[in-house]
Amino acid sequence: MDWSFPDQEERYRASLQESDGKVLVSSLTRDGAEVPLPEISVESDGKKGMATVNVGGYSKKAHIARSGDTWWVHIDGRAHEIIFHEQGSQSTSKEGSLKAPMPGTVLQVMIKEGQRVREGQHLMTLEAMKMEHKILAPSPGEIAKIHFSEGERVDMGSSLVEIED
Amino acid sequence: MSGAPTPFSKVLVANRGEIAVRVIQAAREAGLSCVAVFSDSDRTSLHVEMADESVFLEGDTLESTYLNGSAIIEAARSSGADAIHPGYGFLSERADFANAVESSGIRWIGPSSHAIETMGDKISARSLMIESGVPVIPGDQVPMEEGADHLGALASAAAKVGYPLLIKASAGGGGKGMRAVSLPKNLRSEFEAAAREASTAFGDGTVYIERLLKRARHVEIQVLCDSHGGAIHLNERDCSLQRRYQKVIEEAPSPAVTSTIREAMGEAAVKAAKSVGYVGAGTVEFLLASNGEFYFLEMNTRIQVEHPVTEMTTGIDLVQKQFEVAAGLPLGILQQDVRQNGHSIEARVYAEDPSRGFLPSIGDLAVWETPSGPGIRVDSGVRQGDSVTIDFDPMLAKLIVHAPDRKSAIRRLDNALSSFVVLGVRTNIDFLRNSLSHDSFQSGEIDTDFLDSTDPSDLRGEEPDKSMLVAIAASAQRLGMDRGQAVGTEPSDDHTGHLGDPFRTLGRTFP
Repeated sequence: MDWSFPDQEERYRASLQESDGKVLVSSLTRDGAEVPLPEISVESDGKKGMATVNVGGYSKKAHIARSGDTWWVHIDGRAHEIIFHEQGSQSTSKEGSLKAPMPGTVLQVMIKEGQRVREGQHLMTLEAMKMEHKILAPSPGEIAKIHFSEGERVDMGSSLVEIED
Repeated sequence: MSGAPTPFSKVLVANRGEIAVRVIQAAREAGLSCVAVFSDSDRTSLHVEMADESVFLEGDTLESTYLNGSAIIEAARSSGADAIHPGYGFLSERADFANAVESSGIRWIGPSSHAIETMGDKISARSLMIESGVPVIPGDQVPMEEGADHLGALASAAAKVGYPLLIKASAGGGGKGMRAVSLPKNLRSEFEAAAREASTAFGDGTVYIERLLKRARHVEIQVLCDSHGGAIHLNERDCSLQRRYQKVIEEAPSPAVTSTIREAMGEAAVKAAKSVGYVGAGTVEFLLASNGEFYFLEMNTRIQVEHPVTEMTTGIDLVQKQFEVAAGLPLGILQQDVRQNGHSIEARVYAEDPSRGFLPSIGDLAVWETPSGPGIRVDSGVRQGDSVTIDFDPMLAKLIVHAPDRKSAIRRLDNALSSFVVLGVRTNIDFLRNSLSHDSFQSGEIDTDFLDSTDPSDLRGEEPDKSMLVAIAASAQRLGMDRGQAVGTEPSDDHTGHLGDPFRTLGRTFP
């Protein structure tokens, strides 16, 4: 089982030991290489979503929640997301496909399939929460496929447009 | 509501989210009963739970629900409400709605439809301000209707005003329907986008243009007027920390306003309010140039999102005053009695993702823990377990602090933000903390371009300790902390998500 952070490639893996309702992290790797780690142990506080994290002799409180494959951890005044990957799972992102950065409605499609676009060209406009957001070409290329037309609703992460070199 | 009898007793709150909650709380304190309205996606929302009764608004769009004036008036009739408070946004600045409410024999808690209409149309407001001797932004007034045939007029007006310029929705506010144009070739596309956004958000696609002033501060004056000719101002709020014309952090007093400027600006604001026979709470917005000159921007004829910072520093409850004034009571406060006590800052907590260009984020509020303590106030319309959808404005809460001076207010706000725990939905909380700690904010030297012109990497916090985070997440998973039900915990209230709180429990059975 691997762990990663949003929009980041590196994969982490942790070896754990359990004793007395406490979990000890015995080692941690990043992209296969061992990462030096202070002694860390975690125990649940018994209160929903609260844990005590013991790091190098100090203990801190953390709020923890899970939604889907994302684990949310609030510690030291900031919230973080850590993503869980089942063993062997591969990233499904296809080369050159442009994903919806938010859920919303397609307001405008400014391009046609087969058209050449330059980097930064305005391809589509999405609307959500009454605000408009432009979808720009991340690189120059040819529009291979447009998956949505004007007025259609898109989910976050759906592939909008495919661009080929 | 001491003194005179109130001519209304039941208020319908024609809004949702935090402002509906705020108004309902104030109404209850005033001894009024309250009616909430709600659309399908708000069935279980906090404002509905807090109201004495609620009326369902049928339909899938804002136009058929919260923007549906006749359905809301009908809801007031059927529930026996004899007053309507519009909150902000939605129908709050629709003169025709104010009119329809009054002519249905229901008290409108707001200024007259004449005042709304005059100030709401930024073009007529400008002319009136020029007539009344209130300074206005240099530029040209160009009334324009939505539609391609007006592009020629637009282009020649733009040439007269000069670039950079600002296209604004005549009926606008909150950054919606507003576009900056720095090059003539972008004029058409930005105009069309502004007009479209304006039609969606306000039901009116009319836009106008004005010169974009660089390096100015946004400073606004709160005014309060009664129906007996009483009109005072409650000092300024500084809302210079904006992102794409959307306010992010507001404070009172303004670090850039001297007592001379305050007095002059306050007088101009009262003059502006009087010129339309204003009654109620309103805000006159100004741009303050670095040389101390200020220009009328617009008047908001409603309660503002950022009203709490004025309440904290003056000790005056503005929503309560709205009720009193609507009930025909005199203000009971003289200008010289208005105090300026300490410093207050408000931070708007949005469901948005600063790492992805501030796109709205959605999800379920798996954990929602708001900070508390001396000088800390949270105005919010959501609670733990609620879903954040794309249907509404992404503002989740306003965190307001009050402290003796600006420095300690900043520290208090940063500390409160650090204990504001929101998990399950990405928010701008880190971004708010990073903005607060930026040297320019600390020294009080920011203008409205600050956020848009600052290198995003300067507003990024420290890199987190990723190894530790993975260690925690992996351990939490091993401990089964995702299984929801914890061991030996207090039962959580099904409705509020709060743990068994003696005050809440008492409240239910208290005589």
